[in-house]
Amino acid sequence: MWLAPVVAIALSGCGSSVTMDPPTIPEPLLEPMEVSVGVRFPENFRAFSHEEETVGAEDWSIDLGRSNEVLFTQLFGYMFENVIVLGPDDDPYALDIDAYIEPSIDAFEFSVPSQTKTDFFAVWIRYRIKVFNSEGEQIANWPLAAYGKSQASAMGGSAALQRAAVLAMRDAAALMIDKLDRETGVGSARASQSQAAASPADIDNRPLPASAKEFLPLRAGEFTDDAG
Amino acid sequence: MMQARLSILLSRAVAGGAILTLMTGCVTSRLENAREGVTGIAEGESVVIMAKSYHLGNHTERSYLTCVEDALARGSAGLNVIPHQQFVDSLFPWFEPRTAPAETKGLTKLMQRPGVAERLAEKGVRYIIWLDGDTERVASGGSLSCAAGPGGGGCFGFAWWQNDADYNASIWDLKGLESAGTISADVSGTSFLPALVVPIPLIARTQTAACKGLADQLRQFIVADAGA
Repeated sequence: MWLAPVVAIALSGCGSSVTMDPPTIPEPLLEPMEVSVGVRFPENFRAFSHEEETVGAEDWSIDLGRSNEVLFTQLFGYMFENVIVLGPDDDPYALDIDAYIEPSIDAFEFSVPSQTKTDFFAVWIRYRIKVFNSEGEQIANWPLAAYGKSQASAMGGSAALQRAAVLAMRDAAALMIDKLDRETGVGSARASQSQAAASPADIDNRPLPASAKEFLPLRAGEFTDDAG
Repeated sequence: MMQARLSILLSRAVAGGAILTLMTGCVTSRLENAREGVTGIAEGESVVIMAKSYHLGNHTERSYLTCVEDALARGSAGLNVIPHQQFVDSLFPWFEPRTAPAETKGLTKLMQRPGVAERLAEKGVRYIIWLDGDTERVASGGSLSCAAGPGGGGCFGFAWWQNDADYNASIWDLKGLESAGTISADVSGTSFLPALVVPIPLIARTQTAACKGLADQLRQFIVADAGA
């Protein structure tokens, strides 16, 4: 009778499994972008797991669960004036939004000390952020690689792997806060939309910035101040 | 009766402490500092200890960082130290491993980010101390074997190992947004494990020595010109 659990444990092989609690990020120091965005998360943002098989050493697996969905919802909530999270069947273009964002995971990897011969666990996550304007045209496709590293401690490898994954997600959040607008132009989505909606007459009558005036050709009868 | 028992206990404790002190390995330390500016710290000002980014290949252990924090804050002459994780969270995302400035040149741009200068002022941060380096086992030797049988067990042999702790601290003064100087700690320790039935570990506390040495130097470095 007592043999059954022992055999079950032996047959399960050597392996460690880590289940992540959804991470939270601190409230960032930033000014939210004045745009209204719609976001749709892929299925694997709600349930994601990954296993690393190591030859001659124990296998490791990590279950991120809803971590990515929670992280991105929180992050975009800080970054944009208004965020609408869409369900799988919602039509983003039926909503009054300036841009529609589709994040995804391209790749996930991790390394454990037995592979690297160091004391460190490391996690790499490659995300992809696709941004569409309100007309449905793709305006950006940005791959971003996030990295987290944590030293194995007396608390055991599971805690270190979990911490490395949290650090990788914080790294992704930091990268997006720092560069998302520059890389995708999502912050200007409202401006470009209103520019496109403006009539040709309005565009002709807009005042020119001073720097642009310097490059305008002179018309007959016009002289610069220097020419006196 | 009670007093005699207490006296015996006390003498045993003293003897134990003396034996433990004698039973440590051999440690050699070299500490150097290079001053670049006048330092000093006023009432209400604080310091933060940070590890240089692992994105730059640094592997400073969390335990070392925490040890320096504790050592700097300890005692009547202790400095006001803000725990690094609390500091990083309160300035998220600008002190994450990816976004933290690598040189003092980056401080000006950092201060222009929304809310950063105000948050630093609110916390009274005067110095940010960046640690890099780690403790490594550089050599080991000897042999030790243990055996156990129905009649008992024991170990025979001799083993030794040498650890090197090399750490560098860069002190940034936020008052002038400039480097105040650097301090380096180079500590080498050899531990021995002779065994004649019972193993007797003579452990060299290399990392602890590097932590205490660096913290003492940092305190002197920062408060040295306080009256100036």
